[in-house]
Amino acid sequence: MILLAANWSHIWMVTLLGFSLVFLLLVVLIYILKLFGIIMRPRVKVEKPTEVPEAVGAPRRENSEKITLTGNATAAIAMALHLYYNGVHDEEPTKITIKKIERRYSPWNSKLYGMNNLHR
Amino acid sequence: MNYLKSIILSLVLLLSATTFAQETATAAVEQEDVAVAQAETMAVQEELQTLSDLVATEEEAGEESVWQEVKDFFMTMGIVRVFDKQEATGDWRQLVMLLISFFLLYLAIKKQYEPLLLLPIAFGMLLTNLPGSGMFHSELWSAFLDPNSPAYHSYGAILKEGGLLDVLYIGVKAGVYPCLIFIGVGAMTDFGPLIANPKSLMLGAAAQIGIFLTFLCANAMGFTEAQAGSIGIIGGADGPTSIFLTSRLAPELLGPIAIAAYSYMALVPVIQPPIMRALTTKKERAIKMKQLRAVGKTEKIVFPIMVTTVVALILPDAAPLIGCLMLGNLMKECGVVDRLSKTAQNELMNIVVIFLGLSVGATATGASFLNVKTLMILAMGIVAFGCGTAGGVLLVKFMNLFTKEKMNPLIGSAGVSAVPMAARVSQQVGQEENPSNFLLMHAMGPNVAGVIGSAVAAGLLLSFLG
Repeated sequence: MILLAANWSHIWMVTLLGFSLVFLLLVVLIYILKLFGIIMRPRVKVEKPTEVPEAVGAPRRENSEKITLTGNATAAIAMALHLYYNGVHDEEPTKITIKKIERRYSPWNSKLYGMNNLHR
Repeated sequence: MNYLKSIILSLVLLLSATTFAQETATAAVEQEDVAVAQAETMAVQEELQTLSDLVATEEEAGEESVWQEVKDFFMTMGIVRVFDKQEATGDWRQLVMLLISFFLLYLAIKKQYEPLLLLPIAFGMLLTNLPGSGMFHSELWSAFLDPNSPAYHSYGAILKEGGLLDVLYIGVKAGVYPCLIFIGVGAMTDFGPLIANPKSLMLGAAAQIGIFLTFLCANAMGFTEAQAGSIGIIGGADGPTSIFLTSRLAPELLGPIAIAAYSYMALVPVIQPPIMRALTTKKERAIKMKQLRAVGKTEKIVFPIMVTTVVALILPDAAPLIGCLMLGNLMKECGVVDRLSKTAQNELMNIVVIFLGLSVGATATGASFLNVKTLMILAMGIVAFGCGTAGGVLLVKFMNLFTKEKMNPLIGSAGVSAVPMAARVSQQVGQEENPSNFLLMHAMGPNVAGVIGSAVAAGLLLSFLG
């Protein structure tokens, strides 16, 4: 009875159309993202070595000298930097070396020179 | 002399007569006085009697009023109301709900199942089910939804007669809290992996199949279409989205649906791995994926603006959720409003989570929660999660048939939002097969795509069924 009472044509329409539209909308986003990726992909400019006429008999330089940073290399460099900077960091002596100034008044805390004393 | 004697005698006689008369008169007066005194005494005695009667009556009445007050006070006690059959709110189910709230508090505190939301939800449930606390009035909200009631759609009536939790619930009813939470979620989310690998969006879409299959199941089980849509959205594994849609389509089911959504999100590490293992081979689970490309700042800034514009132009009903999500993300990525970004991530998010949790928990009253429908909702919630997980995994396997660079199917399961829990599950299951395999960043793409996908699905259901 429950199954008969439901408006199944509408239910199927919502299910199929709904799921298709979710897919369609996200596929549209994929193409837009790819387009943006092509336009905005960060490029590392590698200066080409100035072409110097090679001496006769000198070993030929390979083109494979281009700077290429793989993800693993980047991660290794980042880790090395992290270890280096953390390793050399001084340990704080945990002693407060700033002496308390007994004199309470100072031009630095004077109300006369404070925010409320607006210049007109 | 005789004359003198006669005068004296007459005087004596006169005196004696006068004395006699006086005595007689005095006696008469005395008699009258006695009579009067007796009458007065009688009257006084009667008055005294009356007074004493009155005092006695008043004393009795006083004793009765004290007893009445004690009795009235006794009757106001919550524990009595639970068992009072004449009390409209009194119900044994409240005691059961109190026990359930204690159990949820235990899960939140001891087991740490989504404690940030489960704890306020459980405490809201506790407060609303304390008899006589008057913090939440479900009857006011029934009148709010009844077109024949004078309080129909009247927030004034709620403010006038409602309790604390009624006032807080206005934010849920108006769909404010989920959107504010999405600002915070956006401010905490890095869409970099998604931008680097746009194909992830497909996985985010595939995992939404759980929503629509559960929608079908719920219709078959006798729920209305609006209720079925709200139940289906549990498969999106996105708490704020579930609350947003349910408060619009089927507010009467808000309590069970919110609790199911957050409970299952917490149970993602339990629900997903068996499905992932069942649908993949060892070889597939060990697939290593290529490093993602670096994503520039400009791309990250343009992404939220572009997504909001495209989605809102195609599907305006999804604009509140997607717009707020992307606003938060833009604040994070643009780098010029750090204060706003930090506020959205911390203070705003935390405050709204408290309000949302308390008010959603408050809707879980005994009468609305302890019924067969709740059990059915809980059962269908698992179906929704399972179907979503399977949908993502199967789509990756399908895509691998046509692509050169194979993807690990385990990242497909992260398409059911539940950020970042689902991505962590992908990483964990992947490392079981190959400890040197790091899938986390690859899984974060489908994971955040799932947030967008579930918000889009919610917008679609709202436009079809709202």
